[in-house]
Amino acid sequence: MANASSTPVESNDLVISRLVRAPRGALWRAWTEPALLKEWWCPKPWTTEVKAFDLRPGGAFHTFMKGPDGGTSDNPGSFVEVVPQSRLAFTSMLLADWRPATPWLAFSAIVTMADEAGGTRYVARVMHPDKITRDRHEEMGFFDGWNTCIDQLEAFAGDLR
Amino acid sequence: MANQYAQLSDVFHALADPTRRAIVGALGHGPESVSTLAAPFEMALPSFLKHLSVLERSGVIRSSKVGRVRTCELVPKSLSPAERWIAEQRAAWEARSDRTATFVENLHQENLSHGKRKLHSR
Repeated sequence: MANASSTPVESNDLVISRLVRAPRGALWRAWTEPALLKEWWCPKPWTTEVKAFDLRPGGAFHTFMKGPDGGTSDNPGSFVEVVPQSRLAFTSMLLADWRPATPWLAFSAIVTMADEAGGTRYVARVMHPDKITRDRHEEMGFFDGWNTCIDQLEAFAGDLR
Repeated sequence: MANQYAQLSDVFHALADPTRRAIVGALGHGPESVSTLAAPFEMALPSFLKHLSVLERSGVIRSSKVGRVRTCELVPKSLSPAERWIAEQRAAWEARSDRTATFVENLHQENLSHGKRKLHSR
């Protein structure tokens, strides 16, 4: 794939693959019906509130998680690609209608579903920018500067082109 | 390699909890006493100490006691910070994918039993 970014990013890709013993339709429903998604999105006893779920490119995808000790995790973002029954991409770096965000955790994720003997092959590829990862370690969990976000947006825009 | 994998599992478990990730974040600035570390958390001290002991058993942090003060610090060699951060992300997504699979398989089983009835009614 043509990529305007100069740093290799593959090293930080997480690729998680599962054979799910159910048809693609069931997997698609679990992912795209908020009432179902909130059942598995976060580990119990944490709970998920789906604050926005607008299933279209540029549509908001916003989850808010609450823990038993009062901890919370707010994760706004948006969908960037929706291919019914087969592919879903979303990112924390854009809000609804392509409005740029400066997320606490920058990532894009691509979820694919394909028929396979015995059920459905489910693959989640989660991509993190190399640079933000390095910077985070120096500060261990603190926000990165604007430059990093701009770099990410450029890299992201490069991929979209 | 197997040994390394076992250690990674412990680290995954240690980092799967938001409170423990926050502790690791705080220790990123340098060693800290338990009381100072605990101060920002609205949590009873015994609960907080449990989190510390999970981190310590995984090898992510270590502690030492001088007089009455116990001090915690990150163990730099437990994983490089880059590896630790990626391990944290992987732990979260592996667990999420397991939950997805389990949920969908249950959903499918329910659909099968309901679907049979629906087919007949159509």
